[in-house]
Amino acid sequence: MVKKWRQQMKRWMAEQLELPADIMMDLPRITMVGHIHIYIENHRGLLAFSDKELRLLLRNGQLVVRGEQFVIKTILPEEILLEGKISQVVYIDE
Amino acid sequence: MKNEWVDTLAGSVRVKARGKGIERLINACVRQGIAVWNVKKHSADTATFFIKLSDVKRLRHVARQSECKLSFVGRTGLPFFWRRAWRNSGFWLGLLLFIAIVFLLSNIVWKIEIKGAAPETEHQIARELKRMGVERGAFQFLLDDPETLQKKLTERVPDITWVGVEWKGTSLHFRVVEKEIPEPKKPIPPRHLVAKKEAVIADLFVEEGQPLVSVNDYVQKGQLLVSGIIGAEGRTKFVPASGKVFGETWYKSTVVLPLETTFHVLTGKFTERHYVGIGRLLIPVWGWKKPVFAHTIVETEKRPFRFWKWDLPLYYERITIREAEEVKRRYTWEEAFAEAKEIARRELRAKLPEEAAIRGEKVLHQAKENGKVRVELHYEVIENIAVPQPIVQGD
Repeated sequence: MVKKWRQQMKRWMAEQLELPADIMMDLPRITMVGHIHIYIENHRGLLAFSDKELRLLLRNGQLVVRGEQFVIKTILPEEILLEGKISQVVYIDE
Repeated sequence: MKNEWVDTLAGSVRVKARGKGIERLINACVRQGIAVWNVKKHSADTATFFIKLSDVKRLRHVARQSECKLSFVGRTGLPFFWRRAWRNSGFWLGLLLFIAIVFLLSNIVWKIEIKGAAPETEHQIARELKRMGVERGAFQFLLDDPETLQKKLTERVPDITWVGVEWKGTSLHFRVVEKEIPEPKKPIPPRHLVAKKEAVIADLFVEEGQPLVSVNDYVQKGQLLVSGIIGAEGRTKFVPASGKVFGETWYKSTVVLPLETTFHVLTGKFTERHYVGIGRLLIPVWGWKKPVFAHTIVETEKRPFRFWKWDLPLYYERITIREAEEVKRRYTWEEAFAEAKEIARRELRAKLPEEAAIRGEKVLHQAKENGKVRVELHYEVIENIAVPQPIVQGD
C-alpha cells in the first residue's frame, strides 16, 4: 500500500516538476540505433543470453530482446550495449 | 564504451566459458568491476568474451564460485606481442645481423677495374691507388671522392691524360686515356708565317718559303715574315712556309710588394674527428681531444654510407683540424726591391714559351709607397715570333 502510494507520488512529481522519469522512477532508459544497436541503462543484471535472445532483469519486471547474431559489445553493472539484428523488445511485468 | 585502443595496448584475453550459468558468471564479473566485452554465445553452454589482461587474476577468483569452466583462447595486445617478439629474439637478432653484414659489405670496395691502360700504366695506377688507400677491402667512406681521386691520379701518374672514376655499386671503375705519341704529321696546307707581335728580327731560320725580312728589321704585328708563295712571277708555287723567326720583343711589368706580410703556414700537426651524420645532426664517433692549437685550418670531408646499392641519408664526416702558424715576413727596402724583380722575372718566365730567352732587364721606375715597393720593369726577350697564317687561295 505504502509502496504503491510512493510510486504514484514519484510519477506525479516527475510529471509536475518535469524531471526525467528514468531517474525519478528507476526505469530503464533504452536507446536504439535502427535495429542494429540497443543500449539499455539501468538494468539489474543479465538473466539469459544467447545469440537470439537477451533477457535482462529490471527493477520491476524483465526486458526481453529478440533477434539474431547477438553480441554483447559492452556490459557494465547498469549498462549494456547489444549488437545484432533486433526484431523485438518486450517488457514483462511481474 | 571504453576506448579499445587502450585495451589493445594493455593487452586483452579472449576467454571461453563452458558450462551452466554463464550469465551469472558475467553478472558476477560486472559486479566485481571486471570490464567484459564482445560476449558471444556459440551454443547453449559455450560463450566467449574478452577481458583485460590485468583482470585475469580477478576472473579466476570469480570463476571459482561459478559452475563454468574457463579456458583462454586468444591473446592480443602489446604485452603478448613483446613476449612473442622476445621468443623470436633469435630471428630478430639474425635479421639485425644480416642487415649489419649487408651494410658492412655494401661499404667495402670489392673490385677495382682499370680499363683502357697499357699493362705498365695499369700497374702504375694500381700502385698509386694503393698508396692512396684504394684497394680491395677498403671502406668506401674512408676514401676520397671520385673527383679528388681523379685529380690526384692525373697529377701522380704522368702517362695518363685523363682518367674517369666512377662507382658502380661496390666496384670502382677507372677509365684511362693514355698520352699518345703524336701521329706523323699530316701534309700542311700552304701557308705564310706572320709576326705574332712587334719586334726587331734577331735571327732567321727558314726551312721552306720565301723570307721577306732580314736581321735587324723592325716588324709590326701581323706583318708577313716568310711567304708561302715561291717562284718567279708567273710560275708561282704555294708551299707551307715553315721555320723560326727570332725577334727581340719587349715586355713591361709592374710588381707591387708589401714589406710586411703575414700568412698562415701549416705546422704538420693535426687532429682528426670522425662523425656519423644524419641530416644536420652530427654524432661524434671518434676523436674528442680538444686541440691546443692557436690557429687552425679546418677541413671537412663527407662521404655517404651505402646499403646494397643505395646511398643512405646517413653519412660519414671527417673533420681534420690542422695547426697553422702565423708567419710574419719582413723585408728591408733593398730586399723588397730584389724580391719584386725576382717575382717579375718568374712571372714573365711562366708566360713565355720554353725556347724564349730573357736578354735584358731594365728598371724603369721603382718607388717606396706606404709600406710597399712598386717596381716597373722592362724586359728584352728573344723569342720565336713566327705564327702560321693559311693562304686563302681564290678559285
